[in-house]
Amino acid sequence: MNLASLLSKDRITLSLKPGKKNKVIEDLVYTIKQGVDAELILSTLLKREELGSTGIGKAIAIPHCRSLAVDKLEIAVGRTTKPIKFNAIDKKPVSLIFLIIAPPQDPGNQYLITLGKIVQIAKELIKKKLIGKSQTPEEFITLIDQVEKGLKKGK
Amino acid sequence: MSTEIVEMHLKLLFDLDNLLNDMDEPTYKKIGFKVEEQEKQSLIKTRTDLLKKLPRETADIYERLRKRYQRAIAPVDNGFCFGCFQRLPTQLLARSEKIITCPNCGRILYWRKK
Repeated sequence: MNLASLLSKDRITLSLKPGKKNKVIEDLVYTIKQGVDAELILSTLLKREELGSTGIGKAIAIPHCRSLAVDKLEIAVGRTTKPIKFNAIDKKPVSLIFLIIAPPQDPGNQYLITLGKIVQIAKELIKKKLIGKSQTPEEFITLIDQVEKGLKKGK
Repeated sequence: MSTEIVEMHLKLLFDLDNLLNDMDEPTYKKIGFKVEEQEKQSLIKTRTDLLKKLPRETADIYERLRKRYQRAIAPVDNGFCFGCFQRLPTQLLARSEKIITCPNCGRILYWRKK
């Protein structure tokens, strides 16, 4: 499964309002679910953040969890207009966030495989300085697709 | 305690248990997300506190099922229990206000909101 096929343009916000880490995560959760389901997802995501930030460094964070509230892998992407504090491992602010929510029952453990793939692609975006390149969600999906194909070729 | 609150506690407990399970997966560690033992213990304490908030009988059922299956709750999809993949009897299919278990595997059933 390729990552680009899991992205949907209505869940990519390239001009996300900067704010406190938890509020930014909440805004992204609401692009996936609303109401009590969103509250449940948010509670689990914030518990995960308490265990250690999912800010992997160099301006990228990947908050993630499994939740009963979803029946398939759901991804939201947000790029903040200004970098925000995320308590990332390199202590630097974050501007690109991939939020990933997986259902509890997950044949073939697609969740962890996708999580690993996002980390790999994120590192490539950093290396090639592509974080701020896309202007529209469509361009962002195309970029992810190209980076992913580039990684496959490089193997 | 209302059924809604019990259900909310159960769902959160279940999601936290999944978090704990994933953290122990070698694939998860290989990805590079580090969780210190101290933080892990704090999450275990949170889930223990949550368990204590549940009615005793519900907490016992949950723990028994978790030990047996690792995942104590199964979503219902198209009339099937997604724990054992057996079709559920029709009388169970209409969402009830009570906490219901699968007649086949015993897992606590969860109907997602559409």
